[in-house]
Amino acid sequence: MASTSFSNSGYEDNKRPFSMSSLRGAPASPHTPQHHLRSNNSSFASTTSSTSYRGEEDAIIFEFGARWLRAGFEGESVPMCVVGCGPEECRRVGDYRGWLKSNNPDTDPGQSRPLVNAEDWASAYELWNMDLRAVDLGLVEDKIERMFRETYNKYLLTDAGTSRLVLVLPAIMPHPLLSSLLSTLFSRWRFPSITLLTSATMTATAAGVRSALVVDIGWAETVVTGVYEYREIAIKRSTRAMKALLQETGRLFTNIPTVRDGRSQAASRDEGISVQFEFCEEVASRFLWCKPRENASAESQQQQQQQQEQIQIQPSPDEPPDPTTQPPSSLTSLLQRTVEIPSPLHPSSAYIELPFSTFAEPVETVLFAAGTADCELDDEEKPLPLLIYNALLALPPDARGTCMSRMIFTGGGANIPGIRQRILADVAALVAEHGWSPVRGKVIEQQRRKLANLRLSHSSRTRRAASQIPTSPLITTLKQEEDLEDPIEQKIRRNNRDRDRDALPPSVQGVLREVESLGPWAGASLTTSLKIRGMVEIEREKYLQHGLAGASREFEAHGHAPDRRSGLRAGGGGDRSSWTLAGWG
Amino acid sequence: MSRPFPYAYISCPCANTPVPDPSKKRRSRESPQKASHHPDHPKPPPRFDDSEDEQTFDPRAPRSNFSLYPPEHLLYCEDCHQIKCPRCITEEIVCWYCPNCLFETPSSMVKSEGNRCARNCFNCPACTAPLAVNTLENVVRGGTSQQGPWVLSCGYCMWSTLDIGIKFDKPTNIRTQLAKLTATDSNPARSRQMSRTFGELKSPLSTFASIDEPFPPASGEARADDSSDQSTTPLSPDARFHALKNFYKNQISATSSSPNDPLGVDFGAGFSSPGALNRIMSLYTSSSRLSSLYGGASKKPKTKPPVMREALTASEGFQTPAPDAEMSFLQRMAREECGWDGLASLEQRGFQPPTARFVDELLPLATLLRTKRAKRCKSCKHILVKPEQKPQSTRFRIRLIALSYIPLPTLRPLTMPVPPPAGTAAAGVTMAATTTSISMPVNLDALPPLRPTQLLLTLKNHMFDPVRITLATPAVTPGRVASRVTILCPQFDIGANSDVWDEALQANSATAAATADQRSSRSGAGAVAASTTTNNPPFGVYEKVAEAGKVWDKGRNWTTVVLEVVPGTLPPSSATLPPPKTTTTTTTKITETADNDGDSDSNSDTSSFGTGAVPDWTGQAAERDKQQQQQQQQQQPLQPDEDVLEIPVFVRMEWDSENQIDRPGVSAAGEMVKRELAYWMVLGVGRIDPSVLG
Repeated sequence: MASTSFSNSGYEDNKRPFSMSSLRGAPASPHTPQHHLRSNNSSFASTTSSTSYRGEEDAIIFEFGARWLRAGFEGESVPMCVVGCGPEECRRVGDYRGWLKSNNPDTDPGQSRPLVNAEDWASAYELWNMDLRAVDLGLVEDKIERMFRETYNKYLLTDAGTSRLVLVLPAIMPHPLLSSLLSTLFSRWRFPSITLLTSATMTATAAGVRSALVVDIGWAETVVTGVYEYREIAIKRSTRAMKALLQETGRLFTNIPTVRDGRSQAASRDEGISVQFEFCEEVASRFLWCKPRENASAESQQQQQQQQEQIQIQPSPDEPPDPTTQPPSSLTSLLQRTVEIPSPLHPSSAYIELPFSTFAEPVETVLFAAGTADCELDDEEKPLPLLIYNALLALPPDARGTCMSRMIFTGGGANIPGIRQRILADVAALVAEHGWSPVRGKVIEQQRRKLANLRLSHSSRTRRAASQIPTSPLITTLKQEEDLEDPIEQKIRRNNRDRDRDALPPSVQGVLREVESLGPWAGASLTTSLKIRGMVEIEREKYLQHGLAGASREFEAHGHAPDRRSGLRAGGGGDRSSWTLAGWG
Repeated sequence: MSRPFPYAYISCPCANTPVPDPSKKRRSRESPQKASHHPDHPKPPPRFDDSEDEQTFDPRAPRSNFSLYPPEHLLYCEDCHQIKCPRCITEEIVCWYCPNCLFETPSSMVKSEGNRCARNCFNCPACTAPLAVNTLENVVRGGTSQQGPWVLSCGYCMWSTLDIGIKFDKPTNIRTQLAKLTATDSNPARSRQMSRTFGELKSPLSTFASIDEPFPPASGEARADDSSDQSTTPLSPDARFHALKNFYKNQISATSSSPNDPLGVDFGAGFSSPGALNRIMSLYTSSSRLSSLYGGASKKPKTKPPVMREALTASEGFQTPAPDAEMSFLQRMAREECGWDGLASLEQRGFQPPTARFVDELLPLATLLRTKRAKRCKSCKHILVKPEQKPQSTRFRIRLIALSYIPLPTLRPLTMPVPPPAGTAAAGVTMAATTTSISMPVNLDALPPLRPTQLLLTLKNHMFDPVRITLATPAVTPGRVASRVTILCPQFDIGANSDVWDEALQANSATAAATADQRSSRSGAGAVAASTTTNNPPFGVYEKVAEAGKVWDKGRNWTTVVLEVVPGTLPPSSATLPPPKTTTTTTTKITETADNDGDSDSNSDTSSFGTGAVPDWTGQAAERDKQQQQQQQQQQPLQPDEDVLEIPVFVRMEWDSENQIDRPGVSAAGEMVKRELAYWMVLGVGRIDPSVLG
């Protein structure tokens, strides 16, 4: 295997036409290095000769989010830069007030900051809002143009527009937004083509899996995407995401008594936020954390059981869980700690001391909807564990089994320490409670009980046992799966093993498991450097003729009818006379 | 506020041409109402088919931030005869250099060095100040000074590489040393952070080719280490990335080179393997003899094409998190010695590997390179700026800055007692007395509302042709804070610029006129150099009164006119943005009448301006919506910078210039051609004092 060669490959490698594998002699049959079709239509490049060395081959990858723009070259593992678009970035040229100390409300202490509506407070830092009714598209275009220009000039240090562009976008984009994005890029610079890739699929690619449940705890919404064989087959969304979390954090600091000294103590929740956004985000990124599930001991036991189970099936990759990793005392000691943070009122001068548990509260209330009854929750604001459970439920059973053991957390919220374990534990509890059935309610329960009383079949007994002991259903399903091992499947597996020569662990299925991903940007970089072309590749001339309206919707028109949701197209062939927006169409 | 008051910004005319949406033509043909905007859309972008730019430029609109530039930032294209801002030029990199050591990096090396300086230039990861290479010990022993291990240290925040346990053997080539240190570090927690290290960046060939370095055994060791306990040591993101890449490459080559692949991916991949070639050959020959000769690549024609599998082991880049990773992280976070300063800030983490969360995981950052760029006009591709290639040189081969073509605007307050609003003619001898008594200059940071203030606007011509200027301004500034503006003399001429020699010769010939001219030109220069009121000429100069229709003062290549401004009142809100330092304690109380006055002004203004722009096709409902919106807007507290008095001024300049020779159609070279240029300019006058009643 070429697996051991990772430490040697590097940047220089990316520019070589031949692959690493040919060096190491790994592939099964000798073959000439693949010649990849590249777009040679970088029609008008710059005429200065010094610039034409680099960049023409390497595509440049931009990942767009509502808040941040990541940019870098293909084949690199991390983006070159991450650029935001806050009010500081939207100032006039020559406006240096961010650097001034005096007469600046942001840095000048001793001035009470006005209460700002929470929506305005956060929206000043957004590149766009998916609710286009309130968005000035011209402003978005201006921001995109400036962000791109400055990214190229400051970080990428290459001529804009000479090389192919790859954009990683959320799976759903409003057409006006997509149109203004593409129009800006095509009309401002001379990009020969722009490829669009979906972020969820790229996240799965960057984890090395073909199917996954991608949980993107993003800015405006949390998106749970079931990706099966690189196709997005189920998407669930919730507004419980980082924006709401930051707003809640802001309210938390606004309502700290020392901060509110001058104001009335009667704090209604929607009153506004007086602390600075940057301060809030800073605190949130440093100190927000997530408590483990309440009955932590039982859960950790269950986890360990699961893991042991998993290890029985699959002996190699995971380290054996240490039984003493999570003593329940660790949590209580955590909760007793206090932390000093700069005072929200005078961030540069004074410190205040807050209990460490304070920083877990916004996460609980916002992401897990603690203290809110289920019936009060709207469809769009389900707590994250329920959202994931629903997404899993929406998947067909076999896809569900594959996806649930390939959960990938990504987005800004995934960095909150403790949140992944907590979500996994909560989802496990939901599964234990309800099984995989969307039907709820008292009547159903009664009927089920009646049925259970009526027939004492084996399965119903196990089900009831499952409802009593919260740990079992996963394992029972697993065991059932083991029992029902298909002889044909066994044969296939054996054959595969023969072909692969070395015994690879069989793929895990049916247990809740988290897989780490390098993120959508890295996934796109990986995909692009492997010369896999996206389904949606928009060429300059074609776009400039008709814009988005030129995209063909008849997918049968293409030579190979691809699955439109995949977002990927292998090779470089195909009919190029028409182009498509695939999932974005 | 952005710059000291008063200031002038120029709006690039490119703001009036929106990004063309190619689908708009088609869409509007298909369904016209789809293309039109929602009625309560706040500011519909101007269209192409707007016959004339009737809209008043609103300096407060969020979009105007992107089109306003200080005059010195603008370029001018001589071919298009148009102002060019950074948005309407394209840039080409001339050279890459390190801003710290000013060494030029050849273009072939830039990318492999990650756009960063490959020498000794580093920035502090904690505070971004440049790091210095310092020695730890400096022992002078028998004439030869022996210098100990070296560290990088920050002179600003006292951070040094000792904090992360790194010392260097020699003071040169720090970057490669650092890469080696981080790559061969035995500490897994450390090597996890080292994502982008130089050792990893090198290809195996280049690594082994450099024999004199002790690197190969170390890397071999690391590899053996990885293969032995790859399950326990999580890979760095970079290593994972390359593991994944190799895995995918293998999978793709394994699946696509299979002979049974029915042209699966595309033809290029199908032909690339000998097996595929063999199969195609056998299509034509179809003789068993030949196929047996070529080997049994197609022995099992019925087996299914292999499917790419997913990564399964850690060596393939697959990774599941350790179960206790998050908890141990939490424990570390809450520890006493960590605290606020132990955790890295967002800014610090910006360019660090994604796993770095604590300050002691931050690595020194090699200085980001900078570029010198040539600039071209986006529409005609003519070069506007071309710097010399050497990084040390500050010269330009070509530099067409806008200020040599458009008049430089400068504004300064007319330090004169404000004449009583009733009778402006009541000036005269009594004025002189009052000037001496109230000699305090106008405080531009606290303009009294509703009181006329006179300003001097000087336009200085840098062209060698005389220019005729027409200024226009809305009578009432757009926005909620409505200030009345009057330009007393909106139409005037500016003389041509001339060589310094010519000027000197002229001065010799006519003495009396020249002294006056010099004096006035000096005052004009003074206005250019310092817009503050400190080095104003003595007040005796200004004993004349501003008159409507008359130029205030005029010099060789500059003209000054008077602007009269009546600042509007701020909307009533106690939670105003903090006014300048002196007035923090005073509360804002504005009388109802003054408030109503201001409201009605801005109401009438914005509504009249709005109906012109918005296609009003829903009639009444939209009108009501708009009114509601406006009411809401009225009730909003003061936005940041809303108290800044900014005047949009439309400048139109006309001049006769020599025709260019290469213009086809027009034959005569010396023929004079009329040219005109028009643009919006924004004059920042000052901040309106919230504490003063109207």
